[in-house]
Order: sequence, then structure tokens, then C-alpha cells
Amino acid sequence: MSRERDDSRGKQPWSAEVQGRGVMREVAPLPVLEVNAVAKVYRDPMTLKPFTAVEGISLSLGGGEIFGLLGPNGAGKTTTIKMILGLTRPTRGTIRIWGREPGDRAARMRLGYLPENPCFYDHLSAREYLGLVGSLFDLASGTARRRADELLKRLGLEADARKPLRKFSKGMTQRLGICQALLNEPDILILDEPMSGLDPIGRADMKQILREERARGATVLMSSHVLAETETLCDRVAILHRGRVLEMGDVRGLLGAGVIEWEITVDAISETAAARLRGEGHRVDGAGRGWVVRVGESEELQEVLRGFTKDGVSIHSVEPRRPSLEEHFVRTIQESGAGSP
Amino acid sequence: MNRVLAIARNTIREAVRERLVLVLGLFGFALLIGSQALSPLALGEGRKVVIDFGLAGSMLLATLLAVFLGSSLLHKELERRTVYAILAKPIRREEFILGKFLGLWVTTAALLAAMAVILALVVTVSYGETPWSILGPVGLSVMELGIVTAVVVLFSSFTTPALTAFFGICAVVVGHFAEDLRYFASRGAPPLARAITETVYWTLPHLSVFNARGLAVHGIPVEPARMIFALTYGMLYIAALMIFAGTVFRRREFR
Amino acid sequence: MERLDRGLLLGLALTGLLVAAAARLEMAERPRLDKIHEEELLYYPSGFAVRQAALGYETAAADIAWLRGIQYYGEHRLTDQKYELIGHVMDVVTELDPAFQEPYVFGAFVMAQELKQPERGLELLERGIRANPTNWRLCFEAGFLHYVCRHDYATAAQFFTWASRMPGHDPFVDRFAAFAHERAGDRGVAILLWKQVLATGNSYMQDVARHELGRLGEP
Repeated sequence: MSRERDDSRGKQPWSAEVQGRGVMREVAPLPVLEVNAVAKVYRDPMTLKPFTAVEGISLSLGGGEIFGLLGPNGAGKTTTIKMILGLTRPTRGTIRIWGREPGDRAARMRLGYLPENPCFYDHLSAREYLGLVGSLFDLASGTARRRADELLKRLGLEADARKPLRKFSKGMTQRLGICQALLNEPDILILDEPMSGLDPIGRADMKQILREERARGATVLMSSHVLAETETLCDRVAILHRGRVLEMGDVRGLLGAGVIEWEITVDAISETAAARLRGEGHRVDGAGRGWVVRVGESEELQEVLRGFTKDGVSIHSVEPRRPSLEEHFVRTIQESGAGSP
Repeated sequence: MNRVLAIARNTIREAVRERLVLVLGLFGFALLIGSQALSPLALGEGRKVVIDFGLAGSMLLATLLAVFLGSSLLHKELERRTVYAILAKPIRREEFILGKFLGLWVTTAALLAAMAVILALVVTVSYGETPWSILGPVGLSVMELGIVTAVVVLFSSFTTPALTAFFGICAVVVGHFAEDLRYFASRGAPPLARAITETVYWTLPHLSVFNARGLAVHGIPVEPARMIFALTYGMLYIAALMIFAGTVFRRREFR
Repeated sequence: MERLDRGLLLGLALTGLLVAAAARLEMAERPRLDKIHEEELLYYPSGFAVRQAALGYETAAADIAWLRGIQYYGEHRLTDQKYELIGHVMDVVTELDPAFQEPYVFGAFVMAQELKQPERGLELLERGIRANPTNWRLCFEAGFLHYVCRHDYATAAQFFTWASRMPGHDPFVDRFAAFAHERAGDRGVAILLWKQVLATGNSYMQDVARHELGRLGEP
């Protein structure tokens, strides 16, 4: 299998519109990840009653895109991810990663995974854990160490590299999680609830990293039940509910165009500045480090940004808020709920 | 192989940082000191008592370590979900299980060896001569530990810690009992029972093969032929158990 | 905080009281418990059964039984000089560890000297000889018993000779083989035999040897 990047890097991946459960797929170059009519039915070991966790899911991901697997808890996101990783076997359907089975070693060499609420060997230090991961990827110890140090630095864990993991906070563990997922410079990243446990700065950092990975040509599949923050990150999403895909397509397509408001994430602003902004009718939330200012109109956005620059406030990110995915999602669920048996 | 060793190294690190090892080590030390205290009561047989108790005690402790550490080995990983991040990496399930087994075996064997060294030192200091004859029996005990560890790892890959510990102890008991099982069966049992017993007898590991502790204290060295046979037998058994464990673990699903 | 401290003290005091009461109770029961403890020795089933239970730790189990046996002998030596169970215990020890020499020697000695049952002692020794055909000491001890207890000088001589033919025997064995043949019945030989016990036996056997030598008129 060639290590060269997929040709479709940088190009907008094709999208498919979905009505209910049917999927229309266009013919495309070998997809990175292909999930084909996959279902997972569990049987209660005592009563033998079947429980369908996932029903008829189909996806196809290409290089250089961020795909969101969205849905409430219990929708089947984690189960789907586990099947992709080979941790569980699908009851029906097939999954292929670069045309190979989920357990295939060559496929896994190019894959990075961050589990939900990750837990790592807490008797090890961050560096030791990354060293272990490195040996699992057959990386030379020098290479592994270098990459580990780079990643720890990039994720702000440099100072804690020698600390045993049992002393890590949830946010730190999450950041270590992304380190171990990136250690092998993967071409496909699978992240289960990557934002959980991170503060707003951490989340913004994470989004930045994912965007960088996408620019590198990697494919990112991430699941989340926090729709608001993934909305701006994902190119395409699939909305899952009770094991089925309700909708799938690119975000803008699903939501339509139009920006409701802008979200500015900044390091810190003074109370007077916050009061002033509130007085102007903007929503200001936050305390200490990490404030979010919500500005309604695009023109006002420029005003506020200029004001921040003048005051020397450090701006972390500026994001548009469209008719929210959350609102769209809730509506979709309700509609489907009315129709489902 | 690198991957297997990486998991093994990690398992050893985890075990060493686990308090159980320390506790058992201290117990072992206490045992050796204690048996020294008994020797004046033994009417001139103090050296025998110290060696016997030392060998028996260290083997017992190492076996207990294998059973109790091993029984929680995989369960802890599954409960804490640490295993998910690892199994998504390019490591085969069989490699993972083998790494766990090796790590556990090395840890328990190291405890046994350390206690044997302390025993030899105690005997040398107290009675003047070094009991070299314990080398062979300790080597065989390491092999026996390997089999017990393999049984424990096998069970821990699909059942609870309590059951794993139970089956581990059963394996030790039955392994030593095997000969007598056959003897009792041959005494007037109905043919079906005898057939079943024979089959069970041949499938069980005969741990008495590895018991040369009695020779050590009488200064009788273990014959090379016996050593070779025992080591080969042990390796075959361990390989069988590990293959079975790998197969079971490969089929395992993680909810 | 106040309530916690008082509760803690009360708890500790109660624990202490109960432990003291239990200890006092046991002290009162001690004689009866000791008898039960000893009767346990009877409950050592045959050596064969203990061997099964030992599960690979037979030699250590033998040592435990040996220690118990020594303790039993020592206690009764100080009290009533009755050692009925010694044969049974030494049987168990030697079943568990047939190469363990001292139980054969000591057991046979006690049964012959103290219980005045040399036949039982010789039975034990002969079992030992069968299990350890090249052990000269056991042969020698058998000869010793035949000489001083049964006064069967011819058989004694035979055993001494066998012992002298075995590898690694001590030089004195040859001397006794010679004496026993030449001077069957000589008091001198008996004295020399007891002096040998004084030189090589354990502390209990040495005591008996001193007593016997005194009886024979030797200082």
C-alpha cells in the first residue's frame, strides 16, 4: 500500500444528500474509510433479547476532510467507531479502511485513535506512555522520543512530561490522548468526543490541530454530542439517532447559509470592557482566562475586533454562528421521533 | 516481537509499582528470618528446615502473586478501558496477550529468584556452606510458575477476577493431584469414569514433574535428563495455553 | 471533632476489653486445649493421605510434622515421660520425606529406649533402609538397637557389617563391625556404642546416652 497522500487532498470531497436511511454514493477514487450498511445487534446474555445499537449505517470518507458523527448519547456513535477500529465486529455489513479490514495491521499503522473519556496506564508518565505507543508502531526510539516531545510541547504538556498519569487532570489526559493519537503521523484520525474535558482554550487548540491535520491531507472522523462546537469544524456530518443515520451531508448544505452571530474567544478582558460590551448589546461569558464574546452583526464584529486590538486583548479565535446545528438537530430528532415506530 | 516485549515491559513496570509485590516480598523476607528462628527447635535439622521452608514459602508466594496479580491483570484494563487505546494500535490480540503473560511470568519468576538468592545467603551465613543444590529445583519451579501464569492469563482473558483466581488455584491443586487422580480412578472405577479420568489426566499439566524441592535439601542434584524433559514439557504446555488464550481473546468483543 | 475523639477512645477501649477477656478465657482453658492440640497428632491420617494434601510441599510438611514431633517429645519428657504417639508422627514424617534420615533414627531410638518397644523401632528403621538402601547410618542404628535393646549380638554384627560395606560410612562403623563379631555380649562394646551416641546423637539422645553410661558404670 503506497504511503503517498490521496490525490483528493485539498479538494472538497463530494457529498451525498440523504433522505431517511437511503444513501446515494457517487463513484469516487478509493475512499479512505468505507462503512457499508453496517449494523450491530447485541443479545442480552440472560434473556437473549436482541438490542440494536446500530442499524444500516453507511459512510464514505476521503482524504483531507473532517467528518462529524453527531448524535445524542446512545445514538450509536461509539459503537460505530468501535466497529471501525475492530474492537467489535459488525453483525451485518462491511467496513474497509483503504480497502482493508478493520483489524489489518497496515491500516492500523496509519491510524490514530482517541477513545471517549480516555484512560491510560496511570503508573506511567506521559513520556513513558508515548514511548510505549511508539514501540507499538515500530518507531525507532529516537524518532518516537522526538515526536513525543514535539507533541507534548504542542499540547502544552511539556512541563508534565515526567508526571505519572494518575496525577493528570481530565483536560491533561485528553490532551495526552491527542498526543498518542498523532504520534504515528496518521492519515486517518478517529476521535470519540475529542472536546470532552477541555476548557474553551483547550477546545480552540484542539480545533486548530484538527484543521492543521486536515490541511496535511489527513482524514478526521470525530464524534460529538456537543453540536455547537463541531459545527464550525466539520466539513460533513452525519446525524445519528437510535442507531440510524437521520441526515448526512455537508454542514452548510444542511443548515443553509446565513450567519446569526459571531463568537470571539479571547484570553481575558477587564470587567469594565465586559460591562461596556454588554451595554452595547453583546453577550459576554467567561471568567479569569477564556472569555467568549458574542456579536450580532458583521459590522459590529469589526468594531469589537478593532476595540480588542486597541486594548491589546489577545484574540484566540473568531467563529461564525449559523442557524445552529443543535437547533437543526433537535428539530430533526423530533420529526423522526414522530415518525418512528 | 517488539510489540510483545513492549507490552511485557509495561506489564512488569505496572506489577513492580503495585503494592502487592512489595508486600509479598516482605513476607518472603519475614519467612526466611522466621524459619531461622525455628532451626534450634529442629534438633540439629535446622538447615533442612530453613531450606525446605524457604523453597516452599517462596514458591507459594510466587504462585499466589501469579494468581492474584494475573487475575486482575486484564480485568483492570477492561474496566478502566486502557486496553481500547492499545488494541486500536497495530498490535495483534495474540501479541497483546503474550506480552501480558511474559510480563507476569518475569515478575513472578524474579520474585522467586530473589527469594532463592536470599535463602542461599541465609543458609551460607548460618551453616557455612552454600546450598548450590537449590538451583535445579528453583529452575523447575520457574517453569511451574510459567504454567500457572499461563492458566491465569488464559482465564483472565474471558472471565472475572474472582473466577480466574479460583481456576488458577484449582489448576495448582489439580496439577499436583494429577497422579493420584489416576491412581484412585484405576482402583475399581467403572470403565467410563476411568476413560474420562484418563483423558483428563493427560490433558492436565502434571505439576509434580517440576517438584524437585525434596532433592535440594538432601543435596541431590537434578539429573540433566529430567531438567530437559521438564523444560520441554513446560514449554509445550505454555505454548498450548497461550495459543488457546490468543484465540479466545481474538474473538472477544469490547462493548 | 469532640464526639469523634470520644467515640474513637470508646471503640479502642471496648476492643481492648474484649481481647483481654478472650485471652483470659483461653488461659483458663489452656490445659484442655493443649490436650486437644496433642490429640491432633493422632488425627494426622496416614502419611499417604497427608502427602496428598501437601500438594508439592511434602518436604516442608515433613519438617512441620518433625517439629511437632520434637515438641511433643520435649513436653512429655518434662511431664509424664509417655510418648505413645511418637511412632505415628515419625511414620508420617518419613512417608512425606522418605529420605529424611533423622526421624528414623530418633523415632526408633525413642520407641526402643523409652517405650521399651524395640521391635517397633526396628520396623521403622527397616522401612528407612528399604527407602534409602545406601544409607549406612540407618543400618548402623539398627545394629545398635539389636545390640543394646534386644541383646541379639549376631544380628547386630550383621547390620554393622552391612553398614561398613556402604560408601561414605564413618570409620567407627568398621570398628564396631569388628568388635561385634569378636566380642558378642561384651559390656565394653555396649559402652563404646553409647559413647558413639554421645558423640553423634542429637541433644535428647545424648542425655539418654549419659544416663546409660552412668548405669553401666562409666563416668
